[in-house]
Amino acid sequence: MDRNNSSARQPARRLGTPRNVHPERLAPPANGFFVWGSVLAAWLVSLLPWRVWEGAPDILLLVLAFWCVHEPRRIGLVAAFCFGLLMDVHDVSVLGTHALSYTLVAYGAVALHRRLLHFDLWSQAIHMLPVFFVARLVQQILLAWLAGRWSGWEWGLSVLLTAAIWPAMGFVLQLPQRGTDDVESSSV
Amino acid sequence: MQRQGSPPLFRRGPPVEIRLAVMVALSIALLVLDAQFHLLEPLRRVVAIGLYPFQRTVMAPRDLARQFNEWVDAANHSRTENEALQRQRIELSQVTTHAAQLAAENAQLRRLLGVTDTVDQAAVVVEVLYEPADSYQQRLVFNKGSQAGLAPGMPVIDEGGVVGQIVRVTPQASEAALVTDERVSVPVQVLRNGLRLIAFGSNSPGRIEVRFLAANADIQEGDTIVTSGVGGLFPAGLPVAKVLTVERDTASGFARAVCEPLAHPERHRHFLVLQVDVARAQSELQEAETGGSQ
Repeated sequence: MDRNNSSARQPARRLGTPRNVHPERLAPPANGFFVWGSVLAAWLVSLLPWRVWEGAPDILLLVLAFWCVHEPRRIGLVAAFCFGLLMDVHDVSVLGTHALSYTLVAYGAVALHRRLLHFDLWSQAIHMLPVFFVARLVQQILLAWLAGRWSGWEWGLSVLLTAAIWPAMGFVLQLPQRGTDDVESSSV
Repeated sequence: MQRQGSPPLFRRGPPVEIRLAVMVALSIALLVLDAQFHLLEPLRRVVAIGLYPFQRTVMAPRDLARQFNEWVDAANHSRTENEALQRQRIELSQVTTHAAQLAAENAQLRRLLGVTDTVDQAAVVVEVLYEPADSYQQRLVFNKGSQAGLAPGMPVIDEGGVVGQIVRVTPQASEAALVTDERVSVPVQVLRNGLRLIAFGSNSPGRIEVRFLAANADIQEGDTIVTSGVGGLFPAGLPVAKVLTVERDTASGFARAVCEPLAHPERHRHFLVLQVDVARAQSELQEAETGGSQ
């Protein structure tokens, strides 16, 4: 929809919609196939051996969290839990390890999603950093309790990197929605 | 941002807090059940079997690139391998003559003593499928499983010695815990004097520990530790580790030896799994235990 069209329709707006809101300029909902496809792609990439490095960012968690913020009705806690369980089996770690932290991140993302949508991608990343950190901390504390020792703070780097690539990932994941819209109005 | 007029496509489930509570409770239950009671092996196996085709598909480009690389480098590779093999052949020829002599002598002595002959161990060559990312355990996943005759408990070796032990199998894949993993313990003895010990994986990465030695136990830096054959799972005489340091604590009366494993699982892709009779070894162990308690 172009601008001429939107300005032409402005006077005829429905009652109750504030003057500064242009419903047609809001980002359209993401395509369901694209949402699930991106999650599946992130999952497949996570099966590759590059994650052996402890500071490696968690791409799957990032994509899940991103869609929890932007499409909370498609991707939620249950999806995060299931993908966490799959990663547990792949990593041959104790079942529930990833499931727990993914669920916590998904909750954080869903709980914050109304607030986060007012911000640009960089601010969203800063908001999500503590969410990623707390979820991972809870996971590490439980693991340390089960193993009887603390494995160090190397995972902090992974959390930082995961949050740091949020803007880039967000840009990529919003590309299909951006296609129909002009540049200024697409920062939702 | 609930847009007006959006169709009620999705029915609303329970509030997100309740879902969170349920999921977190479920996760913690899974954690505890899996870590403490090992009740979830069937679930894990089912998921792992479903996961396997995806893992293979994703790893396929890597394997292809590796094969291509090897093919390009074939001449170089075969020359160095040839040199190494030549050297090994010369070294081994001496050892073999000696060993043949010893074997004949040993067979004679065994006959004299009435001891049954040791059987040659069947073995399967496995390749590393991937290395799982987990800082709390040292594991490897191999590309063969119960269909190739692998079973939990079988030892994994390379040319250096003991690498680890198979802990889980699915039909097409298996998971091995390295000797440096905390949960693995290997019955060993000191090659120099035959002192029998148990070696454990260590908290510090890439190390093996021998704990709870008497403070005056005869173990020194540089000692080689080999499997003792006690317990029946690990055949006797496989090299395990070399002692790096011995810490003697006079206050508690115990000593602790830190050892470096002789096998190098990080350098190789192929390993040998010895197909020991796990069921027999376990039943023998149980018999010994019940016999001891009676």
